[in-house]
Amino acid sequence: MLLQRTLSKSNKTDLYLDLVELASGLLLVGFLWTHMLFVATILISQETFNGLSEFLDKYYLSYIGIPFIIVVALFHFVIAGRRIPTRIQEQRIVWRHAKMLRHTDTWTWVFQAITGMAILVLASIHVWMVVTGWPIRDFTSAQRMESFWWFYLILLIVGEYHAGFGLYRQFVKWGWFPRKPIGYITKVITAIILVLGLAAMFVFVQLGGAL
Amino acid sequence: MADRELTFEIFRYNPQKPEVKPYLQTYKLKETTGMTIFVALNQIREEQDPSLMFDFVCRAAICGSCAMVINGRPRLACKTLTKTLPARIKLFPLPVFKLIGDLSVDTGTWFRHMSLKTEAWVHTSKTFDPKAQEERMDNETALKIYEAERCIECGCCIAGCATANIRDEFLGAAGINRVARFMLDPRDERTPAEYFEVVGSEEGAFGCMGLMACDDNCPMELPLQMQLAFVRRKMASIGIGYKPGKGIKLA
Ligand code: HEM
Ligand code: SF4
Ligand code: SF4
Ligand code: FES
Repeated sequence: MLLQRTLSKSNKTDLYLDLVELASGLLLVGFLWTHMLFVATILISQETFNGLSEFLDKYYLSYIGIPFIIVVALFHFVIAGRRIPTRIQEQRIVWRHAKMLRHTDTWTWVFQAITGMAILVLASIHVWMVVTGWPIRDFTSAQRMESFWWFYLILLIVGEYHAGFGLYRQFVKWGWFPRKPIGYITKVITAIILVLGLAAMFVFVQLGGAL
Repeated sequence: MADRELTFEIFRYNPQKPEVKPYLQTYKLKETTGMTIFVALNQIREEQDPSLMFDFVCRAAICGSCAMVINGRPRLACKTLTKTLPARIKLFPLPVFKLIGDLSVDTGTWFRHMSLKTEAWVHTSKTFDPKAQEERMDNETALKIYEAERCIECGCCIAGCATANIRDEFLGAAGINRVARFMLDPRDERTPAEYFEVVGSEEGAFGCMGLMACDDNCPMELPLQMQLAFVRRKMASIGIGYKPGKGIKLA
């Protein structure tokens, strides 16, 4: 028995943290996939894209949604991020361990942590660019895509990876579905969203050249 | 196949002789039919190097003492056929457990500590009557308990778990599986709150990050993912209504 551990144990903090991790992860994946579907409306027509943006503006959905998602993302960053080993020696242990084990789900977790950090930086820049260029219209997005397509390409891949594997891991941890099929389903959805995202990017870059 | 020459690279270190730094020693050996790592190691010790340390008892995947890292993965030496491996074979002792020397580690102390911490015995207020007929248990429950009981305490799930590698207090899949076993047992009279005290924290159910190295490396193929998820869900539902007692203030 260690005094400091015994006295600090046995409250419900660890449970609440795990539940917030679960809820914030689910909310963010739900948001990201919805967001990508919204962006992909450009594939239908410019009018649909602009119409959707105006609709979200008119009913203040953007003004509620964006701050809400930022708060959820901050909670997620702190709470899911507590799993990232902070001491250099621990990081070295995990890294060597992953290399030794050559085990898929261990490697995907290492990349979960790395892509999470990348999203923190990239998504902040993205939100800043969009909010300072408000409102969102086909030509504003086309301009951003044309100048920074490489930035959006990285954010798209990193974000989809993190969301897809993150969702898979939540299902694995809570065991609501068998492991193999859920891995397959999350991979298929991720692939579909990636293709939609790439197609939308392609259309925007073309538009940017035309405007 | 049978005339391959195998090259073993084996981790050597004796904590009793700290002046000799850890190193890898190479041995060569002719492969024979049906050779396991256990057979190969015995042959090396008999014919080439009597100082090589490693453990085994049953040589039949029952005692759990021969687990080691074989080409990067925690495996039982007595259950791993050399023909399933390339001609170069790297052997390391299991991480996390106390190193006795070379490939030999002390899993016993870890598992004893885990058993004490999870109080891995049936908690009952009934006094045992040796003359009475044994209480009946329905077959389904008995089989579920048996599934968890098949653990041979080899430590592969602990060594493979990145979380256990960096968090000393983490009970790991073997520990959480042990708790699941008693939660299923109708003879155990522990209350939900008492179970929550044992595994309702990051030392138990909530410490697991779902890496599944345990599930993928258990030589007895225990359904560890489902056991971990079962305990996690149980702990979440118990925990929501759980009222912890008031703590003592240090200042
Ligand atoms: C602010 C930047 C972010 C950081 C630093 C971050 C970090 C992490 C880390 C370290 C994990 C692993 C936690 C664990 O295994 O228990 C994780 C899990 C996860 N992340 Fe993120 N993340 C970020 C943003 C996002 C975003 C934007 C999404 C949504 C697309 C997301 C979705 C998820 C999901 C679903 C999980 C699985 C949670 C779990 O296993 O319980 N994350 N994140
Ligand atoms: S699922 Fe992963 S983190 Fe959880 S006990 Fe198994 S190996 Fe460790
Ligand atoms: S659960 Fe499997 S890997 Fe873990 S100690 Fe038991 S038998 Fe070994
Ligand atoms: S020697 Fe007993 S399990 Fe291998």
